[in-house]
Amino acid sequence: MTTIDLDELLENLAQCRRCGICRNAVYEDKGFDGVCPVWKNSAGFETSFMRGRIQVALALLDGRLEKTEENAESLFSCTLCGNCTSICAAEFDPAKCLESVREVLNEIPNAVRDTIAKKILENNNPYVDENKTRRDWVKEVGFDIPGTGEVLYFTGCTAGLKLPETAKSTAKVLNAAGVNFAVLEEEPCCGSVMIRTGMVEEAKKNAEKALEMIAKSGAKKIVVTCAGCLKTLREDYSERFGLDVPEVLHMVEYLKPLIESGKLKLKKSSEIKKITWHDPCHLGRALGVYEEPRDILKAIPGVELVEMETNREAAMCCGSGGGLRSYDGNLAKKIASDRIQDAEAIDADILATACPFCEHNLKDGANRIGSKIRVVDILDLISKQLQ
Amino acid sequence: MVDKKVITELSEIVGEEFVSTKQDILLAYSVSASMASDAVLPGAVVRPVDTEQVSKILQVAARYNIPVTPRSGGSSLQEEVIPEPDGLVIELMRLDKIKLHKELRSVTVGSGVTYGVLEKFLKEHDLFLPVYPESALVCTVAGNVAVNGAGPGSSHFGCTGELVLGVEIVLPDGKIITTGSEANPYSPGPFQRYSFGPDITGLFIGSLGSFGIITKVSMKVFKRHKYYDHNTFGFETHEQAEQFMVDVKQNDINGVFTSLYEGPVLELFMDMIGEELGVPKYEWPFRTVSMTIGRVREDMMRSDAELAKKLCEKHGGHVIGISQLPYQEWNGRLWFFVRACYVHGWHWRTLYHHQTPINAHRSVEEIRDVMEKYGFLGHTAGFASGHSSFNAYPHLYFDPQDPEDEQKIRDAHKELAKTLFKTGAVPFKLAPYWADAIEGMDNYMAFLELVKKTIDPKKLMNPRVLGGL
Ligand SMILES: Cc1cc2nc3c(=O)[nH]c(=O)nc-3n(C[C@H](O)[C@H](O)[C@H](O)COP(=O)(O)OP(=O)(O)OC[C@H]3O[C@@H](n4cnc5c(N)ncnc54)[C@H](O)[C@@H]3O)c2cc1C
Ligand code: SF4
Ligand code: SF4
Repeated sequence: MTTIDLDELLENLAQCRRCGICRNAVYEDKGFDGVCPVWKNSAGFETSFMRGRIQVALALLDGRLEKTEENAESLFSCTLCGNCTSICAAEFDPAKCLESVREVLNEIPNAVRDTIAKKILENNNPYVDENKTRRDWVKEVGFDIPGTGEVLYFTGCTAGLKLPETAKSTAKVLNAAGVNFAVLEEEPCCGSVMIRTGMVEEAKKNAEKALEMIAKSGAKKIVVTCAGCLKTLREDYSERFGLDVPEVLHMVEYLKPLIESGKLKLKKSSEIKKITWHDPCHLGRALGVYEEPRDILKAIPGVELVEMETNREAAMCCGSGGGLRSYDGNLAKKIASDRIQDAEAIDADILATACPFCEHNLKDGANRIGSKIRVVDILDLISKQLQ
Repeated sequence: MVDKKVITELSEIVGEEFVSTKQDILLAYSVSASMASDAVLPGAVVRPVDTEQVSKILQVAARYNIPVTPRSGGSSLQEEVIPEPDGLVIELMRLDKIKLHKELRSVTVGSGVTYGVLEKFLKEHDLFLPVYPESALVCTVAGNVAVNGAGPGSSHFGCTGELVLGVEIVLPDGKIITTGSEANPYSPGPFQRYSFGPDITGLFIGSLGSFGIITKVSMKVFKRHKYYDHNTFGFETHEQAEQFMVDVKQNDINGVFTSLYEGPVLELFMDMIGEELGVPKYEWPFRTVSMTIGRVREDMMRSDAELAKKLCEKHGGHVIGISQLPYQEWNGRLWFFVRACYVHGWHWRTLYHHQTPINAHRSVEEIRDVMEKYGFLGHTAGFASGHSSFNAYPHLYFDPQDPEDEQKIRDAHKELAKTLFKTGAVPFKLAPYWADAIEGMDNYMAFLELVKKTIDPKKLMNPRVLGGL
């Protein structure tokens, strides 16, 4: 079963004119210095960027290409970053179409995708067997965080289980702003990766379960620190699954007015130097949140915000999205190194972002090339500047 | 299927990573931006990184008699880069080096360098390569030389070919030659195309990869224009508009981009994207000339702009004064046309050709006739493309999901090539379908065949083009 209208999808795919602009367009007026991070960092055959992916998708859909894991590779070697959509002059959204193709063709075997979905359904997260450990960080913040409340901090799997510093920082910042907030006793995965990799039926089941748990917490507002959770909870739950979700805000959206109104005061740090902002694809291109994090960074006394050559709608991706980090970890890290080099090119000391998934991959990318750039989550930065 | 032995040899040249016989990859190379054309599956694709690798690959292809299709951006619209069945596609995007020869006012680019990439590079030096195909963000300079293209900028600077100073070519047997002044190994760089006798460079311009592979191309570059005037001129007859275009050239007015539109066509397009481009609503006249004048000195620009207005009135036209259209055409030249080409949702086949400006209406008439006969939508517009020529780009629209509609366009396209030829129009290049359209050129074609036989006796290089000689 699929939620996709196949005729509509084919009509959309037919909008591709095979122009190839989504490969490596360099167009200063629109801020592009290249388009597809996969094309740039892989062997670079046609199937490594959207033009070829669409041809493969069409051939798999109409039977010209046999539905095998090997033939479907290019459907998955894509971060769904949406940079191709940003530059495409035709009247359709190629990245969104590819996501739909993954769903329609999810009978094609793909061990990586299936394992992730299975783990999420079984363990409520894609990483570990014992999901309870994702709340361990709460013990280290120095104050109690209830499991119920009107403002819910939905930590996300990556912050909860891989980068708990971000979760701790968020808690500290919310506490400093005088916000009473809750963290679920046993938080589920939002299911983003299942949606992106085409396991939408499973994602729906997961979403219903997650929403039930959220509802039990009494949340009227959900704050998140993960761009993927944001897009999924805010957009996919309602638009795809018709679920009624409380208001969902990324912390950068939530904090901006608190900082501007003086409720949250930030002190100067001598340590902070030149900071650049990496736009997570799900926060920026997908939801249009570009200025809030920049405004926050500029509000930190002593910070010099510098922009990488590609930013906002044309920002190059970190390499981890769309399931690519699981599907081809080396490629994902190579893309991350490339993004780190963008930051190096402008002599940034710190690359800040607002997505633990980006942060995790960018850190690996920095290590891979021995870069001295510090990759930090914006919440970690803010928490260090609390007055 | 390309023999395993061949694949092993190719892998030894470029590394395993850059050779593929994967079904999905072959499928992606079976097509290009050419619409309403049949896909052809190649047998293998290889992505070399430099001239030496290209040379070795061609030697392998020659040894095993494998037909070769050189491919760069894959943005060509006239089936020029559709491969041969089981043939070898040599994709050249990895040859991405750029070398500026500032004092020689020239630049040398590898065959994988796109106009977009080069524009950014040259801008940093306050220079430009002033002719931009409308596909500039995807197509390569070498690819545009290979197709003998044109675009914004051509109205003053001529077609792409006129800016070429020399090429580095790998011949079908793998030998490497450099043409123009750089044929001399002691040359300081590319500064003169016409050297050592016949124009060997010219042989490769528009040759569609059928004589060899361009691995580097050297182009003239110019100081960027600082002063622009953008204006629109309205006319009630085609004679008025066409004479105006001739007079603009005759008076040395530097119209870098001078387009000619039919009223209803412009209206249709402005309905679709006028607002997006900030072009005010207007009842466009029978013919509109949209012109950008560009100069390095302000006094020259002002003088040109004044004279253009006078000439317009002299020819019975009126100055419309809407600057946003030519402004967008020129300033947005890397984007404007692609957007205009795709915004409406139809697919199209094009039939690029040159007319003389005073014959521009003949192209309009011919496309109207086939539109009526076959019952489809379409249009043609065009721009001055050199000393005395006009580049027309008819678009024949079809519904991509309706095979009958597509077939209609294929048939109409064939017919249009024939009728356009009879109006005196000339194609830039001998893309496959022109072979049926041309007549009365037997000696010319025989000579071309002789050239092909001499350079590529095994007929391995892109055999589908040049009328399949
Ligand atoms: C939206 C759109 C607008 C366009 N507008 C214009 C326009 O204004 N003007 C214009 O001229 N064209 C235009 N085109 C057509 C196309 O972009 C040009 O034909 C372009 O020059 C093709 O370059 P490419 O690098 O994509 O070459 P490809 O499509 O890869 O190849 C084109 C031909 O050149 C040969 N070739 C490619 N590279 C080499 C090489 N290095 N050595 C030898 N042979 C080679 C190929 O075998 C093939 O025959 C447009 C296309 C699109 C999609
Ligand atoms: S997805 Fe858009 S930009 Fe890419 S080839 Fe298709 S039409 Fe062109
Ligand atoms: S979504 Fe991103 S990674 Fe995927 S094809 Fe488009 S630009 Fe490339």
